[in-house]
Amino acid sequence: LGGSCANLLLSHSQITRLYSRFTSLDKGENGTLSREDFQRIPELAINPLGDRIINAFFPEGEDQVNFRGFMRTLAHFRPIEDNEKSKNPTASEPLNSRTNKLLFAFRLYDLDRDDKISRDELLQVLRMMVGVNISDEQLGSIADRTIQEADTNGDNSISFNEFIKASFVLTLHTLL
Amino acid sequence: MADPRPARSRFSPRLTAAFLCVFLLVFLRCASASRDVVSGSNETWIRPARSTQEDPHDHHGNSTEHKKAFPVLAFNFEHVRKPFEISMWILLALLMKLGFHIIPRISHVVPESCLLIVVGLLVGGTIKAVEGTNAPVLDSKLFFLYLLPPIILDAGYFLPIRPFTENLGTILVFAVLGTLWNVFFIGGTMFAVCQIDGAGLADVDLLSCLLFGSIISAVDPVAVLAVFEEIHINELLHILVFGESLLNDAVTVVLYHLFKEFSHEGSVSVGDALLGVVCFFVVSLGGILVGFIYGILGAFTSRFTSHTRVIEPLFVFLYSYMAYLSAEVFHLSGIMSLIACGVIMRPYVEANISHKSYTTVKYFLKMWSSVSETLIFIFLGVSTVAGPHDWNWTFVVFTVFLCLVSRVLGVIGLTSIINKFRIVKLTKKDQFIVAYGGLRGAIAFSLGFLLTDSKMKHMFLTAIITVIFFTVFVQGMTIRPLVELLAVKRKKESKGSINEEIHTQFLDHLLTGIEDVCGHYGHHHWKDKLNRFNKKYVKKWLIAGERSTEPQLISFYNKLELKQAMMLVESGSTSKLPSVMSSVSMQNIQPREPPRRRAMPSISKSREEEIRKLLRANLQNTRQRLRSYSRHDLMIDPFEDNVSEVHLRKQRVEMGRRMSHYLTVPANRQEAPPVRKVGFQPALMSLHLCPPEHQVFTYDDAESPRSAEMKPRSAAVRLLNELPQRSDQSDAEPNAKQDDQEDQLKLSRGLSDPGPNQEQKES
Repeated sequence: LGGSCANLLLSHSQITRLYSRFTSLDKGENGTLSREDFQRIPELAINPLGDRIINAFFPEGEDQVNFRGFMRTLAHFRPIEDNEKSKNPTASEPLNSRTNKLLFAFRLYDLDRDDKISRDELLQVLRMMVGVNISDEQLGSIADRTIQEADTNGDNSISFNEFIKASFVLTLHTLL
Repeated sequence: MADPRPARSRFSPRLTAAFLCVFLLVFLRCASASRDVVSGSNETWIRPARSTQEDPHDHHGNSTEHKKAFPVLAFNFEHVRKPFEISMWILLALLMKLGFHIIPRISHVVPESCLLIVVGLLVGGTIKAVEGTNAPVLDSKLFFLYLLPPIILDAGYFLPIRPFTENLGTILVFAVLGTLWNVFFIGGTMFAVCQIDGAGLADVDLLSCLLFGSIISAVDPVAVLAVFEEIHINELLHILVFGESLLNDAVTVVLYHLFKEFSHEGSVSVGDALLGVVCFFVVSLGGILVGFIYGILGAFTSRFTSHTRVIEPLFVFLYSYMAYLSAEVFHLSGIMSLIACGVIMRPYVEANISHKSYTTVKYFLKMWSSVSETLIFIFLGVSTVAGPHDWNWTFVVFTVFLCLVSRVLGVIGLTSIINKFRIVKLTKKDQFIVAYGGLRGAIAFSLGFLLTDSKMKHMFLTAIITVIFFTVFVQGMTIRPLVELLAVKRKKESKGSINEEIHTQFLDHLLTGIEDVCGHYGHHHWKDKLNRFNKKYVKKWLIAGERSTEPQLISFYNKLELKQAMMLVESGSTSKLPSVMSSVSMQNIQPREPPRRRAMPSISKSREEEIRKLLRANLQNTRQRLRSYSRHDLMIDPFEDNVSEVHLRKQRVEMGRRMSHYLTVPANRQEAPPVRKVGFQPALMSLHLCPPEHQVFTYDDAESPRSAEMKPRSAAVRLLNELPQRSDQSDAEPNAKQDDQEDQLKLSRGLSDPGPNQEQKES
């Protein structure tokens, strides 16, 4: 666990806290979490992105996540610290670097992992966020406009680079 | 008054300056005249020497008459004196402001506030020289009750909520702890300074020093706004300094009253200090509560104003002003009350009021705050000349020096504590700007002015004015080059794109979810809870109609679209078509090529092409007319009217009105009905199989005006001619659906065999 900790750059107290949370979620007491364990969190159930967030914890095709995977995903959301970079310049980019955070968010949009947010994927996300009262046409026009604004190479979908550019440099910085 | 006015050329700065000088002189003559006039309000009398008007013959030098002839012309200044003076002052202020912008060189170097103070100095000096008596001084009552509220309301209403709440902790620390530190440091050190022999300050005791400290240490929102507006610094720094200047009002109020009370008694006990702390909480939270109540009241009232749109802006202003005054009644913090009122009221009021009212509110607030600010600075200059001064070198110099030092120390010290809790740390550059941006202004002056008259008061006032001048002139002028020198991040010109809105919301949800997984009840968690509560209960009560259930994303999007539509109306030429022309109904003022996908599916391709060619051929000529045509104008039957210029203008106005109406009408699907109501729709609905919303009026725009022009050359045209006639006969559309099938058949028949004229049927 020590090696992975160094990799994730979480502090000792943070790891302890996360571990206690992990165990409290793990009703089956088998050292791994399943999707149902996540779904038991009440606030997550009403979160529009709840399902996608849960899925983000589980690596491709698996149904169980152990503590290491749990921590790994959560380590994305640690705040960026400037002094880390100078400490270990040869290591690969830390998980919570800005790009990786954006990549994480991007993957939540891009379900089929083709590195592009297509109009349909965008529509799905919009539909989740906006609820059921809005007509499809309106959502469609919002999606169209979003793609129009962000799309620079004309392929009618948003690639990761376009995603980075179109987003709000400042907002991300202050949120995460 | 006999001064010849120079020929006014707007582009010549020198002439304008000359004109302004002339105006100044005129103004001064007026001011002096007002003093010479005998105060007798109802007396009318003639002054042949003064007036430039022609005296009637009868009265010229005729002093032996017994009967006083009917005065054809009279001069009665006393009657209008007060409003006249006020108007002259405001006019002077505005002309000065105008003048600065015409002379571009200066306004780049010197911030406007400095120039205004200089003007004030000049005016004050001139009045003093001419009159010998004192010019009007910045009356504290005038300042606090009339000049300050518009500025604060403007700031509070348009406060960017997101950055403010995200940095609230930092802002509070700076505002409360920073100000406290400043007060005690300056007060204490000044007391030590006063103990120095030879300075002649031995009679200034500790409490007076602390009182002085409490007056001088508060960062002033007016000055900060005036200077920071022009340097376009990045949002974070702007909100830090500005937020601090707003929130430190509570601290200032409490400390000021505390020390003022006790400076008479001469000592402060521990119990009093504790009471002071309690008072602080009461003042700040009480102020916020008062503002909150008035804000909710305002939002609630706006729910019912759909029939009296004209007075909507007044509600916003009056509720806010009442919040301020009510807070002042109880000696609570009026500024915080005003801010709270504006912040609470805004989202609900904006959902309720019409677009025009919103614009009115915006512009009136900007206008009033601009005038207020200008007047404040001018009066500051005038008061400097007027007020009795007591210049004490030691005192003044040390004050200025200590203000700077304490500010710097305070910011550095607090930042080192704050940075432990912040995600985005404040860099050294940021700290420098925050420290340098701690400007003092008119609030300090007014508070000083309220002190009881004494020798100390004059000394304090002199020192306060010096500090204000120093911060505004020196710091205000140098902050812009410093910002550029240090390469501080400037404000990003973001146009409010839909991308940002979506991603911001997306990230909010994401982070809330992650926080929930971690079991960590952080910032996002509570924000999410508040939003949910807001959506579920509060919006239902405070927002009228269906807008209450409209998701934020949709209202944002609608606003964007509306803005674009308005731009289109104003520019009014095809070349300015924005690249994004969504298919949402609101947008289609300018007809495009009829969307192929949604064209009449039952009509053959060749016919379609024919129709299109015809349309396109004639479209170019009548671009003017089509432009003003909109889905909302269907009430006006265009085939009957002669399409005249007047009519077009009316249509444009109509569309503008409709658009402002749009904002109050539910923004969801049910918006389509306005088209239906007109009765045009059934005819055109018959042309389509798909849902009618956008298709209807794309054809509308293309076809209907056309028909008036086109000679009945082809079946297609005749067909189109028939449609409107049918519309005259058909009313509301409930049975449109049944007619569809029928109509479609008729239509295709009409197209395929030219000549059928008997197609007129009742629907």
